[in-house]
Amino acid sequence: MTPGLLGNVALVLGFVFTALGLLLSLFAWWAKDARYVEAAKRAAWLSFLAALAAFFALEWALLTDDFSIAYTAKNHSTKSPTWVKFATLWAALEGSILLWATFQALYTVLAARKLKDYWMAPAVLGTLLGIELFFFGVMLFVANPFAPVPHPPSEGPGPNPLLQNHWMMAVHPVLMYLGFVGISVPFAYAVAAMLARRYQSWVAETRWWTLVAFGFLTAAIFAGGWWSYEVLGWGGYWAWDPVENASFIPWLLLAAFLHTALVQERRGMFKTWNFAYITLAYAATVFGTFLTRSGVIQSVHAFVEGAVGPVFLGFLLAVLLVGFSLLSRVASEVRDVGGLNLVSREGLLLGASLVFATMAFVVVLGTLFPLIVEAATGDKVSVGSPFFDAVFAPLGAVLLLLMGAGPLFPWGGIDAYAARALSLMASALALATAVALLFGAGFGVALGVGLFAYNLTALLAQAGRGVSAWRKKGRGALAAVLAYLTRARRQVGAQLVHFGVALAALAIVFSQAYRVDAQKTLEIGEQARIGGLEVRLLDLRAKDEGFRFAVIADVEVEGVGVMHPRLHYYPTMNSPLAAPSVHYGLYNDDYLILQAFDTEEGRWATIRLVRTPLVLWLWIAGGIILFGILYIVFPGFSWGRKRAAEVAA
Amino acid sequence: MKLKYWLGLLIVVGAIGYMIWGGLGNSLVYFITPSEYFQDQAKYAGKRVRLGGLVKQGTVQYDPKTLELRFVLTDGVAEVPVFHKGTPPALFKEGQGVVVEGRFEGAVFHGDNLLIKHSETYQPPKEGYTPEDVRRLIEEAK
Repeated sequence: MTPGLLGNVALVLGFVFTALGLLLSLFAWWAKDARYVEAAKRAAWLSFLAALAAFFALEWALLTDDFSIAYTAKNHSTKSPTWVKFATLWAALEGSILLWATFQALYTVLAARKLKDYWMAPAVLGTLLGIELFFFGVMLFVANPFAPVPHPPSEGPGPNPLLQNHWMMAVHPVLMYLGFVGISVPFAYAVAAMLARRYQSWVAETRWWTLVAFGFLTAAIFAGGWWSYEVLGWGGYWAWDPVENASFIPWLLLAAFLHTALVQERRGMFKTWNFAYITLAYAATVFGTFLTRSGVIQSVHAFVEGAVGPVFLGFLLAVLLVGFSLLSRVASEVRDVGGLNLVSREGLLLGASLVFATMAFVVVLGTLFPLIVEAATGDKVSVGSPFFDAVFAPLGAVLLLLMGAGPLFPWGGIDAYAARALSLMASALALATAVALLFGAGFGVALGVGLFAYNLTALLAQAGRGVSAWRKKGRGALAAVLAYLTRARRQVGAQLVHFGVALAALAIVFSQAYRVDAQKTLEIGEQARIGGLEVRLLDLRAKDEGFRFAVIADVEVEGVGVMHPRLHYYPTMNSPLAAPSVHYGLYNDDYLILQAFDTEEGRWATIRLVRTPLVLWLWIAGGIILFGILYIVFPGFSWGRKRAAEVAA
Repeated sequence: MKLKYWLGLLIVVGAIGYMIWGGLGNSLVYFITPSEYFQDQAKYAGKRVRLGGLVKQGTVQYDPKTLELRFVLTDGVAEVPVFHKGTPPALFKEGQGVVVEGRFEGAVFHGDNLLIKHSETYQPPKEGYTPEDVRRLIEEAK
């Protein structure tokens, strides 16, 4: 038994079991017989075990330095540390598809356990197995990690050094795929709901899945930003790079879906919107993979060369076709209950979802625009951060306004409490903006401060409303607060998420506006002012770390201490990678990069200092958002306390 | 009532559309070679562009003390003097394909972002290359 053999057998078995499960689901649908659903669930279990076997086969090959299969021969190195070897599984295309397939199989099994609706079950399972079949098919026929290598090499190049440079790269892709795959469950339910013509209940049944997927995506995006901050050596966390955009589009569409799904659950409205949003959100995960894996973004010419690109494009079109053809078929049957009053909670939730959807559209447009221009005029252009920043600033401000007001409104209209709170929030906005302007802030920063104060006031008003509802039922002050925190978990969790978003917005505004970026060349022992700080170059030394060679500068920074920015030389790369040294602070981060050094005599080094305010709060905000989502999601599938939460709301 | 909503929607969509359109128009960055620049100087005047070409032999001046980098970018036909403040990337050398992002200030191109275009199969072009050769070289090296 070799890893290659085990892997190939597992892939074939996985493909067969998945196909079998799909056929059983189709038959269950056609024959209206639930027994076939049970059989399909067993097939889903078997295909999950097969995917797991394939996963372990590839880990086996990586950890035992087996170069007889294509994936290790192309992406593995015996010199990597063990954790890098383990994470190499998702460091390149074929392995990441295997990881995706394994997660898809896992989610299919987990979702299958929760299928209650007799009419929808076969369609949900069938859709999930159809998706899983696609991934097994891609591995078997297009990008097989276990393809045998006729003359195995004894050493390979190892994974991309950028990925080896930080442990975060072992975590970020896993979170991303857990999020991507998570969206497939509500999507499958939506397809089933449209097929079975049961338009209302699927939203509530998939809420847990939607939140879990949203949580993983959020974590993945923050982790990616932090990785970029710590590794890429330019002192920023987000560059509107196509790969970043690819992860952001599904997040935005899922956020849009979350807000209108809430309305459908409580008020029976926006059913068509929800079908459209979830279809687009799932399609966006495939679109992102297509963009980043096919090479289409770098050059139009790579279009025909990448084998995986067209396959994912086909899958993307299939997802859109299934979603929207079903939607157009049922659009005439879907009737919302009651008319819409825009000045109400549901009206503002729709507004928020529209802003999210517009943002998603802007990201898609900005990412694809170079392709459109090149196809139309032949000009080579690029769309950079200025475009995205210019459009996202006003959209973000609108979103922050809606975010504060929405949860205060009752369903259906406005009441006296919401009106009073709104006038208070407007005063906070005006006051804080004015104070910030007085302190010499620019208009954008002042507005950012104002919106933060506005949202802080809004959160207090929301909490006040929740607590006073419990007090009216005769509880003491402390008991009412406790009851609110523990019984209205969904509301409290949402407030935490909203607070995290407001904090993140503030951190983004400040870190973009007041960034200092300066560099200087210093002789060893020399001291100079860089970006307002006294900096002294103490020493420059080299270190052989086995799988890489490091050049380290010891730099003393005023008020911080000695920092050690490095340059890493990897054998497979002909240019060094900067490993910045970051000192995190409550007000400012000091970020030191070794830009260049005297290669001949080691006498001087060029040191770059990036000083950015409030970046630390961005990562804290990410933690708060995740905690808020966890607060809603745990303890899991049970929603017994929902009624209590509604009373409080 | 209905009309009011439609009007509001129209205004919002119009504003967003205007914002996107204006934003795109102002922040498009063209990728050009020196000879393409000289064919239509007015089009790129004062605009941010990405200028691609080869670092001309014997023109590189870099002073690590002042961090001032000067070199001439060529595509075989036309040449542009480039000024860049900051450390050149590790692979920066004469004959190398590079892309500089920045603006023309008079006859000198002031770059603020210097990218090396390098692939594993990179070969410096032979003598007598054309702007098309240079462009292909740089595009393929991405």
